[in-house]
Amino acid sequence: MTGSSGVSRRTLLGVTLASPVVLRHALGDEPIKIGMPCALTGPAGEVGEQMRRGAEFWIKSVNAKGGLLGRPIQLFAQDTAGDPATCVRKAQDAVERDGCRLLFGMTLSSEALAVVPKLADWNAIFMSSDNGDGRLTGSSFVPNFFRANTSGPMGTRAVALYLRTAGFKNFCALGMDYAWGHNSIGVFKDEVKKSGKNFIADIYSPIGTQDFSTYITKIRQSGADACYLVLQGDDNNAFLSQAQQYRLGDKVQLLTEIVDLNSIHAVGDAAIGLIGGSRYTFTFPGDANAQFVAAWQKEYGVVPDVFEGEQWQACQMLQAGIEKAGSIDADKLRPALETVEIDSIKGKVAMRACDHQAVQRGFMVKVVRKEGFKDPIPELIATFPADQITPACRQMTYDT
Amino acid sequence: MEFLAFLVTQCLNALSQAALLFFLGCGLTLIFGIMRIVNFAHGAFFMLGAYVGYSTVHWTGSFWIALIVAPILVGGFGAAFELGILRRLYGRDGHAFLMVTFGLTLIMGEVIRLIWGVEALQVKPPAGLSDIVFILDEPFPVYRLFLVGSGIVVALLIWQFLERTRLGLLIRATSQNAEMVYALGTDVRLVRSAVFGIGCGLAGIGGVMAAPLVTASLGMAPNAVIDTFVIVIIGGMGSFAGSLIGAILVAFVQVFGTYYFPDFALAFMYLIMVTVLVVRPGGLLGKEA
Repeated sequence: MTGSSGVSRRTLLGVTLASPVVLRHALGDEPIKIGMPCALTGPAGEVGEQMRRGAEFWIKSVNAKGGLLGRPIQLFAQDTAGDPATCVRKAQDAVERDGCRLLFGMTLSSEALAVVPKLADWNAIFMSSDNGDGRLTGSSFVPNFFRANTSGPMGTRAVALYLRTAGFKNFCALGMDYAWGHNSIGVFKDEVKKSGKNFIADIYSPIGTQDFSTYITKIRQSGADACYLVLQGDDNNAFLSQAQQYRLGDKVQLLTEIVDLNSIHAVGDAAIGLIGGSRYTFTFPGDANAQFVAAWQKEYGVVPDVFEGEQWQACQMLQAGIEKAGSIDADKLRPALETVEIDSIKGKVAMRACDHQAVQRGFMVKVVRKEGFKDPIPELIATFPADQITPACRQMTYDT
Repeated sequence: MEFLAFLVTQCLNALSQAALLFFLGCGLTLIFGIMRIVNFAHGAFFMLGAYVGYSTVHWTGSFWIALIVAPILVGGFGAAFELGILRRLYGRDGHAFLMVTFGLTLIMGEVIRLIWGVEALQVKPPAGLSDIVFILDEPFPVYRLFLVGSGIVVALLIWQFLERTRLGLLIRATSQNAEMVYALGTDVRLVRSAVFGIGCGLAGIGGVMAAPLVTASLGMAPNAVIDTFVIVIIGGMGSFAGSLIGAILVAFVQVFGTYYFPDFALAFMYLIMVTVLVVRPGGLLGKEA
C-alpha cells in the first residue's frame, strides 16, 4: 500500500508538472485537460484511488509517446468523498475553472446520476469507467455520457448465465439487510427460477454483523448446494473468514456478484473456492491484457485490480475516439465515440450509438491458489458472448 | 442436523461470542467502577489491539506473541492516556470525559488509517487452532473452542486478581470509597491509572482474539462499542460479575434469536436492556439505581 501510493504520487507529479511545461514547449500545443472528480476518501475511497491510478498510468504512457493528437494530457483529479453534491461542484470546477471538456471519475452511480444532466450545458463528454447503475444508459441517458465498463445488470447477467450451465440444483442466498441486499437477492431468485432450479431460502444479516456462526448454521441446514452472497466490506470479510473456519465450502459452493483483489487480500485463503462475476481481472487471456499487466507491474510492482483495468479500458476507448475525431470538441467527438471499437484488455469492445453502452463479454472467475502469488488469485472459468451479456438498448433487464 | 448436535454447537457458538464480549465489557465496567466515567474510546482500544496483533503476527509470525504484546502495548497506551490527559479532568463533570474519550476514538481511527491503511487486514488463527473438530458429527472450529477456554481462564484470573491480590483489594476499596482509601495512605491516582490500563489491555486482548474472525478493520470500533455498552448496562455498571452475566446473556440471545426470529435478532438485545432498566435501573448486579 505505502509502496504503490508513493509511486502514484510521483507519477501524479510527473503528469501534472512535467507535462505542461516540458511537453508544451516540445510540441508547441495546448494540453488536453481531463477532469476527474472521484471518491478518494470515504467508503468508496479504495475504488476511487484505483480509478485515479488507472488514469494516471494511461496519461503517463501516452505523454511518453508524444501525447494525443500531438498534445500532452493533463489530469485534474479531485476528491469528492463519494458525495453527489460535492461531486457536482468539483466537476463544475474542473469544467469552468480548469477548462476541462473531458471527464473521468464519479466513483459512485449516485454521483454520476447527479452530474450527467449538466453535461450538455458544460459541452463536456464524460467517459465512465465504473458506474454500475443501469439507468445511466437507460432512463437517465444523456448524449454526452458514455459507459466503457460492465454495468451492474451486465454483471448480474453473467452470474445468471453461469447458473444455467453449472451443476447446482438448490440455491440459498445470504445478503445484507438493506435495499441492495434485498434487490440483488430478488433478481437472483428470479434468475434461479428462470433456469428451472430451486431457490430454497433467503437469509439476511444486519449491516455490521460480526458473528456469522448462526448464519453459517442456517446455510448448512438449508440443504442448498450453492449459496449466493450479497455482502460487502467488513461483513463480507467476516463471513468468508468464519465460513472457512467452519469448512462451509466443503458442503456448499459460495457464489458472489463481484470478485476483487481487495477482499481476497483481506481474507487470504478463506476466499479460495469462491465463484463470482468479474468485470476485469489480471488473469484474463489475450495479448493486450498481458502487455497491460506487464507494464503495470513494472510501474507499480503489483498486478492491476478490477477498477484499474476498467479505467484503462475507458481511457483506451476515449483515446480511440479522440484519434478518430481528430478533436476533443464534444460535437465532433460524440459521433466518433459512438462507433468506436477497440481491442481491449477484455477482448473486442465496441461502443454502440443507441445508448452509449460499450458492448463486451461477461466473465466468471473462481478464486484459486497459484504458485508465485502471495494471495489467492481469480482464475477465469467461464466467458459469455457480448450479445448475451449486454441488454437491449436503454434496457436494464433481459427477456430470456 | 440432529437437534442435540444443533443445540450443542449453537451453545458453543454463543459461548465463544460471549468470551469476546466479556473481554470488552469487563474492561469497560472495571473502569466505570473505579472512575465513574464511561470510556467511549473502548472500541478504539479493541480495534488498536487487532491492528497491533496483526503487525506482531506479521513481524514475528506468532499469534501467541501477539496475544502478549498487544495487551501490553494497548494497556500501556491506555495508562499513558489516563496519566497525561484524563487525570486533569477529574474535577469536571461527566461531559468532559465523554467528549475527550469520544475525541480519542476519532483520533485513534484516523491514526490507524494512516499507519495501516484503509484495507482490512487478515490475521490467521495459529496453526494448531485453525482445524476443525467433529462434535456429534458436526464440524466445529477449534479456534472457537479456544475462545471459550480463554474466556473462562481470563474470567477466573480476573476474579482471583480482584479477590486475592493487594492491588485487587485496593481496586475494590477504591470503587466503594475512594476518599477513604486515599485517607488511609494509598495513592488513588495510581490505582486509577492501573485500572484504566488493565481495562484497555483487556480490550486489546479481545481485539487480537477477534481478528481471525472479523479481520482487523476500521469498522471494528463502532460495531464493538455498542454491544459492549449494552452488556455493561444489563450487567450493572461497575459490576465485574455483571459484565460476565451480561456477555453470556447477550451472546445467547443473539445466537438463538438470530436463528429462530431472524427479523427481530437485533431488537431482542435492546429489549432485554430496556426490561432490565425498567425492573432494575442499576442493572442486574448494579449497586446504584
